[in-house]
Amino acid sequence: MLGLLTAIGRGTARWLALVGALARFAFEAVASLRTLPGAGRRVAARVLLNQLRFTALQAVGLIALLSGVLSYLTISATLTQLSRVGASEFIGQLMVVVIVRELGPLLTALAVVSRSGTAITAELATNMVMGEVRALEGLGIDPYHYLVLPRLFGSVVSVCTLMVLFDVIAITGGFLAAVAYGGMSGPRYLGIVLANLTTQDVVLTVVKGVLFGLVVGIIPSYQGLSVRHGPTEIPQAVIRGTVGSIAVIFVIAAVIVGVLR
Amino acid sequence: MTAPLVFENVPLSRIRRSTIGGPAHFPVDTEGHFSLTVLPHQTVAATGDETSGVDLLGGLALGLDRVPEGRVLVLGTDLAALNRLEQLAFRRKVGYLPAGDGLMQNLSLRDNIRLPLRFGSNFRPREIEGRVDVIVAQLRLTRVADRRPAQANAEERRRAALGRALAFDPDLVILEEPFDGLTEKAAAEMLEFARGGEVPEGGRRTVFITGQDLPALLRHRVDRLIRVRRGRVEVPA
Repeated sequence: MLGLLTAIGRGTARWLALVGALARFAFEAVASLRTLPGAGRRVAARVLLNQLRFTALQAVGLIALLSGVLSYLTISATLTQLSRVGASEFIGQLMVVVIVRELGPLLTALAVVSRSGTAITAELATNMVMGEVRALEGLGIDPYHYLVLPRLFGSVVSVCTLMVLFDVIAITGGFLAAVAYGGMSGPRYLGIVLANLTTQDVVLTVVKGVLFGLVVGIIPSYQGLSVRHGPTEIPQAVIRGTVGSIAVIFVIAAVIVGVLR
Repeated sequence: MTAPLVFENVPLSRIRRSTIGGPAHFPVDTEGHFSLTVLPHQTVAATGDETSGVDLLGGLALGLDRVPEGRVLVLGTDLAALNRLEQLAFRRKVGYLPAGDGLMQNLSLRDNIRLPLRFGSNFRPREIEGRVDVIVAQLRLTRVADRRPAQANAEERRRAALGRALAFDPDLVILEEPFDGLTEKAAAEMLEFARGGEVPEGGRRTVFITGQDLPALLRHRVDRLIRVRRGRVEVPA
């Protein structure tokens, strides 16, 4: 019994220490924006553009595929059932609640974690192992400025824009499914969707985009820069970064649903 | 005249990481306290084996690692008394070539040399390009300057890392294991470039070199060669 309690206590202490370290890292990363030198801004902006190209632009295909298939499957599966009970008007609510409000942000964030979160951890961990981070500090360049901030802002902007793209494609996919399976006219479908889409949904999408983007920028960066002993730690860091990001994203999604219920 | 680099009673076995990129621990078999004064225009080399603590001296001098007691003065400044941002700004006054070169793998050799100037100076782009072109030419890197570190050989990488260290034309240069794996001729050229020419007092720059050994050809080119053993300067019998 005592052993069990000790193990629980030790696990909790480790978890709290990790949360504290992550919070400190996030604070220091965001606060470093204040001290970014004028000349460094131009360099950091170029790194940011690179990050956006990799995280947002190159992910458009994947997001389009996920969004299109998900909305097509959701609508085609449910519309037939709804039509049978004369409730096809609920298709708009279904689209907004299930896809735009919940699954869209979640799947977009998961796609970005799986593509870019893993890459961020692996890249920063390699920077650590190769002594590049220490060299930067030795040259008077803050790793937060050169490595972390561009990735953090790149992740936030990418997740937000990809979420909007996801929603647009999902609604378009749903439109095709509604026309093909439900015999619904285009204007009617759009009218139903827009009638169910509130300002709160739009605000919530943006809030989720920012929060999920912060998670994708912070946790993988933290885990990447935590590597100390050598290359064998890199895969472990990638796993910690990916699993941690996914877990936190799901918790945030659940908390938002709980708060707004 | 202020000594550019002073170590005062530093216990090398008790050094702690104080930066993001430092190692977690330092396996040093030491029992003593390290003291050393590097005078202006001197080239001083400190050598010792892996557990002597000699490889910690560069990081200590730049405030990358923390000392619990004793102190390290660089160009008359105690870096431990500065906050993190002040330390970062101060390090731009010192040239640093870390062990293993530490070049950014996703940048070309030219971009690596350009990076500290673009990030930490207010020079105009044209001035930066001019300065980088001169360094690239002096280090005979023109032919390979657009290659990434992985596409260059060890000597070219080391030259590029030295060029990056000297980008701000500092008065003090700290070189960690700069000559490992180089021919004696290449090492001698590197040392001459680090010294930055001669003035009546010695080299134009003050150079502090750490490493396990120094090539035979270079031993008479340094002003002072010390051996570190178990964390202190070994006194010859």
